[in-house]
Amino acid sequence: MTREEVLGRIREHLATELEVEPSAIAEETRFREDLEADSLDLVELTVELEDAYGIRFPDDEAARILTVGQAADFVFARVEDS
Amino acid sequence: MIALDANGADGGPAVVADGAKRSGEQVLLFGPKDELGGSGAEVVDAPERIAGDDEPVRAVRSRPDASIVQAARAVAEGRAEALVSAGSTGPTLAAATLAIKRLRGVHRPAIAALLPLPTGPVLLLDAGANTEVRPEHLVQFAYMGAAFMEAVVGSKRPRVGLLSVGREAAKGTPDVLAARQRLEDGPLDFAGNVEGFDLTAGTVDVVVTDGFTGNVALKVAEGASRTVREAIRQRVRSGGPLALLGGLLIRGPVARLRVELDPERVGGALLLGLRRPVVIAHGSFGPGGISAAVRLARRAVDERMVERTHAALETAGALRSVPAGSVATNG
Repeated sequence: MTREEVLGRIREHLATELEVEPSAIAEETRFREDLEADSLDLVELTVELEDAYGIRFPDDEAARILTVGQAADFVFARVEDS
Repeated sequence: MIALDANGADGGPAVVADGAKRSGEQVLLFGPKDELGGSGAEVVDAPERIAGDDEPVRAVRSRPDASIVQAARAVAEGRAEALVSAGSTGPTLAAATLAIKRLRGVHRPAIAALLPLPTGPVLLLDAGANTEVRPEHLVQFAYMGAAFMEAVVGSKRPRVGLLSVGREAAKGTPDVLAARQRLEDGPLDFAGNVEGFDLTAGTVDVVVTDGFTGNVALKVAEGASRTVREAIRQRVRSGGPLALLGGLLIRGPVARLRVELDPERVGGALLLGLRRPVVIAHGSFGPGGISAAVRLARRAVDERMVERTHAALETAGALRSVPAGSVATNG
């Protein structure tokens, strides 16, 4: 599993749930400001990633993830650690 | 097939099973198998329940075998067409939202309480799912509520009001004022602002507000009704022979009124805005109320409530969309 694959899964989830073109979601895309994702959107994303990769998003760490790239970094680091 | 969480009702799983049987509908029961025998329904052994004081999202995520989680998953996977639960609202909301998911383009699901009134039922939403809302949420609640009243209650053209602190157009929070502007320009039969006493006056069919205000309003209405009923009963009993005679004379009409106003008749509240119907029965319901809840879910499926809700939102231009140009591009 590569970081690109993780990024691709995040992009696909957001594109499907928020009805945005996948190509328009970049590393620096901000969840709240650019995608108008609210708390429920972010919970759904973390649930998808927790289930897909067998990791957990502690609430305090999840709150610090602001962009798509940061989410990919978090997931990739946890999967590599485990 | 209706998925029914049999845990959580005050009377226990057997009450829920009895209600399922009385409904006459095809039901998939989730609960302790040894307490659900004889129900006549298909049973999935799920003795674990999530209590109301557990943190809902965390509990739903960490306990995949809990009855409400399994029941919601059955609906999400297509083994059932709707979900009914008499358990705590928090876990039901969390399990349903995470498994069944929001209807495409819906910002937030809303708890919609159907109030049985002498003038006809009135729908209040949001009754507690979202304590903080934005104008676009209130606008969507209005269309979701109207679609429900048309599809399930059979109202031809439901009249919708926005709960505020006065009828005048300038009265209300900034969010209420912004929502009002959008609703006035839309295709709904919009009555404008309504006040607290309009909730039970029958002046509108749907009352829209945020979840905090809605929950308070609902409980004030229920509490006031209970207090007045009890006060009348006490005064009749303590008022001497003439009062007792009067009580006997009006006993018949009062009994009929009590039946008309019984919340168990309507079957509970709905969680509107998800991809399948979800009914939240009150924990205190007996078998009659559970039966009504199951039949309410069945009707919501048969009348295509979800599809009609989406169509109404789409026609009104009220579906959620990411603003064009706001998303970063590669490179």
